[in-house]
Amino acid sequence: MHRVGGQLVRGVKHQKRSMSAVLPPKKVEVFIDGKSLLVDPGMTILQACALVGVDIPRFCYHDRLSIAGNCRMCLVEVEKSVKPVASCAMPVMNGMKVKTNSDFVRKAREGVMEFMLNNHPLDCPICDQGGECDLQDQAVAFGSDRGRLQSRYDGKRALEDKNIGPLVKTVMTRCIQCTRCVRFANEVAAFPDFGTTGRGQDLQIGTYVEKFFASELSGNIIDICPVGALTSKQYAFTARPWETRKTESVDVMDATGSNIVLSHRTGELLRVIPKINDDINEEWLGDQSRFAVDGLKVQRLLTPMIRGADGQLKPASWEEALYTVAAKLRETPAEQKAAVAGGLNDVESLVALKDLFNRFNSENVMTEEEFPETSGGSDLRSNYVFNDGIAGVETADAILLVGTNPRFEAPTLNARIRKSFLYSDVQVGVIGAETELTYEYDYLGASAKAIDDLLAGKGDFAKILNSAATPLIIVGAQALKGEAGAALLGKLQQLADKLGNGKEVKVLNVLQRWAGQTGAQDVGYKTGTASIRKTPIKFLYLLGADEGKVTKANLDPSAFVVYQGHHGDAGAEMADVILPGAAYTEKEGTYVNTEGRSQRGYPAISPPGDARVDWKIIRAVSEVAGKALPYNDLKEIRQRLNEIAPHLLRYRDLEASPFVKQALQLAQTSGSIDVDVSPALRELSDYYQTNVISRNSRSMAQAKKAAIENKTNPYAEEPIHARL
Amino acid sequence: MLRVGASRFLKSGSTICRSLSTGKDNLPVTRSHDAKKIELDDILEKPSIKTPVKVITDETMDIGGVPLEHQDARTARIFRPARETPQSAWGNTHSWTIELDNRQRWENPLMGWSGTADPLSNVGMDLKFATKEDAIAFCEKNRWEFDIEEPHERKIKPKNYGQNFSWNRRTRIGTK
Repeated sequence: MHRVGGQLVRGVKHQKRSMSAVLPPKKVEVFIDGKSLLVDPGMTILQACALVGVDIPRFCYHDRLSIAGNCRMCLVEVEKSVKPVASCAMPVMNGMKVKTNSDFVRKAREGVMEFMLNNHPLDCPICDQGGECDLQDQAVAFGSDRGRLQSRYDGKRALEDKNIGPLVKTVMTRCIQCTRCVRFANEVAAFPDFGTTGRGQDLQIGTYVEKFFASELSGNIIDICPVGALTSKQYAFTARPWETRKTESVDVMDATGSNIVLSHRTGELLRVIPKINDDINEEWLGDQSRFAVDGLKVQRLLTPMIRGADGQLKPASWEEALYTVAAKLRETPAEQKAAVAGGLNDVESLVALKDLFNRFNSENVMTEEEFPETSGGSDLRSNYVFNDGIAGVETADAILLVGTNPRFEAPTLNARIRKSFLYSDVQVGVIGAETELTYEYDYLGASAKAIDDLLAGKGDFAKILNSAATPLIIVGAQALKGEAGAALLGKLQQLADKLGNGKEVKVLNVLQRWAGQTGAQDVGYKTGTASIRKTPIKFLYLLGADEGKVTKANLDPSAFVVYQGHHGDAGAEMADVILPGAAYTEKEGTYVNTEGRSQRGYPAISPPGDARVDWKIIRAVSEVAGKALPYNDLKEIRQRLNEIAPHLLRYRDLEASPFVKQALQLAQTSGSIDVDVSPALRELSDYYQTNVISRNSRSMAQAKKAAIENKTNPYAEEPIHARL
Repeated sequence: MLRVGASRFLKSGSTICRSLSTGKDNLPVTRSHDAKKIELDDILEKPSIKTPVKVITDETMDIGGVPLEHQDARTARIFRPARETPQSAWGNTHSWTIELDNRQRWENPLMGWSGTADPLSNVGMDLKFATKEDAIAFCEKNRWEFDIEEPHERKIKPKNYGQNFSWNRRTRIGTK
């Protein structure tokens, strides 16, 4: 039967070959457990099996790392082959007949499993990986019911644990030497200190001399470890996977909007793990996104508060707080009111706040983060989003980074640039700070005036950019501030137009820093707080604005400040009334990432104490103030979102931003751009605490301390860039 | 009336006499060909014909005993769970599942168990649907609003062991 089918297909292929030589490489026919399958040549047997839904057991093979082929768990039987074949490394060949579940295969796997368990401790009851352990599962599925290890005579392998920092816990005895973490460290995190020493039974994973795992992606080695050798220090001995509930949600620590899974139990958030999304974060997650959630349990605002006559904030009821806010809101004239939104807000609460202020004839709603108001500004969407998409980085052949350090502003994006760097011949140029970026780059200076040279075609990198088929410019949002920011945006638009002429890419990509910023600009917030300093403001509404861009000194002396948010930080300190809101793990909300992709976050737990969901608080204020907003539930406010910008409800899809040409016409091309565009985050120690949640996180503080101490480590590896 | 009663009496009288008599010939003789075949339907009562009652609204939710506050305004999320990153098997990602909006949970102070007032809080844990349509039908039956989240399909790009050793590419591994 199969042979007939195979001959038929082969016959067709011969025809094709004779027809034309331009056709894509011809497919190869393989038989997986008797099922015929056409796959691309060069694929491994394991991948071919995955195409038909056959999961081959594996330890060392990982979809996103290079192939190692050292665990031997993926052995399969290939007809006419005497020995079992490691399917993870074996490319498919035409007519190959693979058996994945024959007696021969089972015997081979049982043997491999026996050797693995010989050197693995029986400490599953006290191991954090228990319940989500590949070794545990595969031992049940493929292992024997007894082993032949005579520990009395042979001994049992045991190793000392290593200290690789405050985030990752190691129990090296459990290690099965799959080297996934080593490959991750070398390939994705670019931390070459992590490697193996010794051979055979004595092989050890580690940094050789004790060293901090100095990477912003270090937490991912917890996930990729198939056993309990690398586990989370934060989550140690906390819960078993079968007791926890899992809520798939969206992260707010950076503007990429990484997909996450929140594990929780008994109304308590326990940990964050990444959710696979090939368009955004692949399988990785930055350390801040993963570990900063312990900051959600401290310094929370649990009850409304009102500042008394003695200047002290005192707990109050919701009724009192709402009436106080509403009274002040009503009595302040429209031009003396202002609202400032921070960077972690969902679009629902942003829309409610803007609607509330609009009802009181005020258009004075702005974001803390600056962005040019002139030169097109946020009028045209292509000006402020990552137009080519995060996945577009992989197809680029030249990337220019302007005023950004993607390694710390968007770790998963940086991992993608690194991937692109390893697997293609992409050339990277940097204008800004000369920092360690996990890939080689051409440094073009700290000043943005290097763009003038690129426009003129001067210099080596200008030639690379000009000859690139898919060039990409990634500009950090923080470089686009002030007067020079508008001019810089204009110049970059010019450069993008010149480079992208007649090409499919839009070239210009803005990397935002805050998860809520793109959404705020989409719904029409002003950017930057400059207008507050111009007119005396008497009523200020802070929605999670904690970066201290506005202080009491900027306001009228008699100003009344309302702070709505989840943490007692800079904003709450200057407030006269505090309205406790919910964090991103506690409310259902829409977030627009830097690409302009709208995503929905779900609540894992309910807000603590008397805290409430943010848009509902604003809705309550509006009702008490006498101008009730016309939405009573989530569905209705989503309808309002739809009225403003329909793409906000087209979840998961990337809405393209047209009008690039028109944006160029609006661009301001005059003005000096001779400014230093070095990003604020330059070293690993800068990365850990960048927002109100991570500033309150204990584990992030520990990691920052470890990163600072690591700088004086005499054995620290030289950065890649300095080695060139 | 009377006549009927008399004839009945006579009939029963004759049987009584026969049973009292002792003669051998008078014993009843049972022959197989004389035996009358009785159908099961003759013994059982005749089934009453069922007339179907037209269901205007599905009552699943009305008779399910779920408190009102947990019946109304529920939104279900229909999705296919992603593979969990700590594990490498894809087995749990094939079927569709439902998750209702999370409501408050708390820890039981005695045993530390998780408590909730929402009887539907576990509804998604063991429900697996082969198709999206099945999940939608279930939601409609229970009068839940629903959002469908299309899964992120994985892309399988050809990978090559030889890349580790290619002399002119950056994929070459220096350390291991």
